[in-house]
Amino acid sequence: MLPVVVVHGGAGHVPKERSEKATMGVSSAARSGYLVLQGGGSSMDAVVAAVSQLENNPLFNAGCGSVLNVKGEVEMDALVMDGKTLCSGAVSAVRNIANPVELARMVMDKTSHACLTAEGASMFARSMGVPEVPHESLVTEYSRMRWRKNLEPGADPVACQMGKMGTVGAVAVDVEGNVACATSTGGMMNKMEGRVGDTPCIGSGGYADNHSGAVSTTGHGETIMKVTLARLILFYMEQGHSVEAASDMGLAYMKSRVDGLGGVVTVDPQGNWAARFSSLQMAWAAAQKDMLHYGLYVGEHWSQNIQEPHSPHHADI
Amino acid sequence: MPAVLLVHGGAWAIPEELAKASVDGVKSAACEGFSVLRRGGSALDAVEAAVRALEDNPDFNAGHGATLNIDGEVELDAIIMDGRTLACGAVSSVKNIANPVSLARAVMEKTSHVMLTGRGGNLFAESIGVGSVPSDSLVSDHERTEWSKMDNYDAEVLTDFNSKWAHDTVGAVAVDSAGNVACATSTGGIRNKMVGRVGDSPIVGCGGYADNSSGAVSCTGHGESILKVTLARLILSHIEQGKSVADASQLSLQHMSDRVHGAGGAVVVSPSGQWAATFTTKRMAWAAVEQDVLWFGLDPNERLKEKLSQ
Repeated sequence: MLPVVVVHGGAGHVPKERSEKATMGVSSAARSGYLVLQGGGSSMDAVVAAVSQLENNPLFNAGCGSVLNVKGEVEMDALVMDGKTLCSGAVSAVRNIANPVELARMVMDKTSHACLTAEGASMFARSMGVPEVPHESLVTEYSRMRWRKNLEPGADPVACQMGKMGTVGAVAVDVEGNVACATSTGGMMNKMEGRVGDTPCIGSGGYADNHSGAVSTTGHGETIMKVTLARLILFYMEQGHSVEAASDMGLAYMKSRVDGLGGVVTVDPQGNWAARFSSLQMAWAAAQKDMLHYGLYVGEHWSQNIQEPHSPHHADI
Repeated sequence: MPAVLLVHGGAWAIPEELAKASVDGVKSAACEGFSVLRRGGSALDAVEAAVRALEDNPDFNAGHGATLNIDGEVELDAIIMDGRTLACGAVSSVKNIANPVSLARAVMEKTSHVMLTGRGGNLFAESIGVGSVPSDSLVSDHERTEWSKMDNYDAEVLTDFNSKWAHDTVGAVAVDSAGNVACATSTGGIRNKMVGRVGDSPIVGCGGYADNSSGAVSCTGHGESILKVTLARLILSHIEQGKSVADASQLSLQHMSDRVHGAGGAVVVSPSGQWAATFTTKRMAWAAVEQDVLWFGLDPNERLKEKLSQ
């Protein structure tokens, strides 16, 4: 059953013209994570590799391709957590770097802290020799177009976002049974400057514990925070529920208690995994036992040999 | 339904020289918060009032009296949460704000967000007319002296939670007569932290959590350890599984000690009015008001009481 890596590229309604690229993107990230694991790399190495790749992919709302805040600027959040030690690293509202997930990992590995924000995060990045990238390199036509639309009176950025572009994340278990999670995002479209969502908040955007499993979440950040979704799902698993049941229970609670939608990827230390969502869609992919699994729509689950090139299955709708 | 208010003024090895001020401070804040409940005010109003009182008191590490980061500046974090709706508000790394807990409440009530950080937090404060205060007014002479002596964060942490000269986070939990619970936590962080370091205090589920179905918690202690175990949410998960507030707190703090070797404290209140103040550090200044009786303590197992003067 081990190793395994599961990746998500955001929960919500993905427009048809982007759906193919979304599944290819997550599949490719899952393959990269799996390669790391097969090579003996740790679950932390694998989730960072997968998420880093999604940050570099302009299709996803993380790193390049991040949504814009109300001022038209990119502010990014990321989290990594190590299930063996419970150590974590996070950055919030960081600007002008290509890979927030890597910076989050540096916070964990190279400081005595678990989270650095805003200007402090940038100072740390500079001290680590992380290159500053021009703001424009992170902005896509698509994100700028959506920003402009959301400035119009009567626009509803939350509803607009619930689907089009999502946070990215990954969970993994390596051959030694260590679990890890990573999550990264540009946040919510047209958010206030300095708005921090669930992603960099431990227990909300993600959580990993070798004793129970790992979770990475996506969806409406404010409601994920209200129920500390990642930690909640792991509480259910600690009580004996399966990865699938626990994930569904967490999402159902979030919907009934605080009326929010989202998605999760979840894994337990034995290598059982689930990709579940209460939104209309979530791009996800998993790699295990040389098989690649992926899906987008509710109930969808495609599998193929991981050695084979990606073969699209989506019917035209 | 009995109303209860419980505050803490930080879990650490409070030295004799600060003991009286710490105990007086929490007692006073608890009374102030309870007076809100007595007037029929909500748990949310009560915890905000209690924490504001502690922020205004320079003897505590929140608002006035906050510790300094490595650059010698004050960066403040706070959270507030409403157990009825699970609504919450938080700020991290905001500067020149006298009452971060009130700013956190404004985030909750005046924006569609839960958390604002850094300059964004400060811009929001300006936009709602929250005045900024000069940095110097937030920094006590004592803190400036201590900061210049200690220039190493790790040494600070090692000695911190059994040390003499570190201040700590403040917080409060309450249940009102309608059975609603709320929590609030506020801090300047740990002395000599890196610029932009965010600890547990403003992170929902870590520095605090409130849910009418189980209770409200506010935590204090070594932030990075509290984050690892999502301490507030952990305590409530034990209560959800049927444990008493005291057992839930003890189990969780013990777990934090065993698993990640971190020390701290927590104040907890249940919707039915059960409460507990628990800590694994040398001391924690705490005070509770219930039915016109003021309870308070500092040392382990200490539980003193006074009739509340009207």
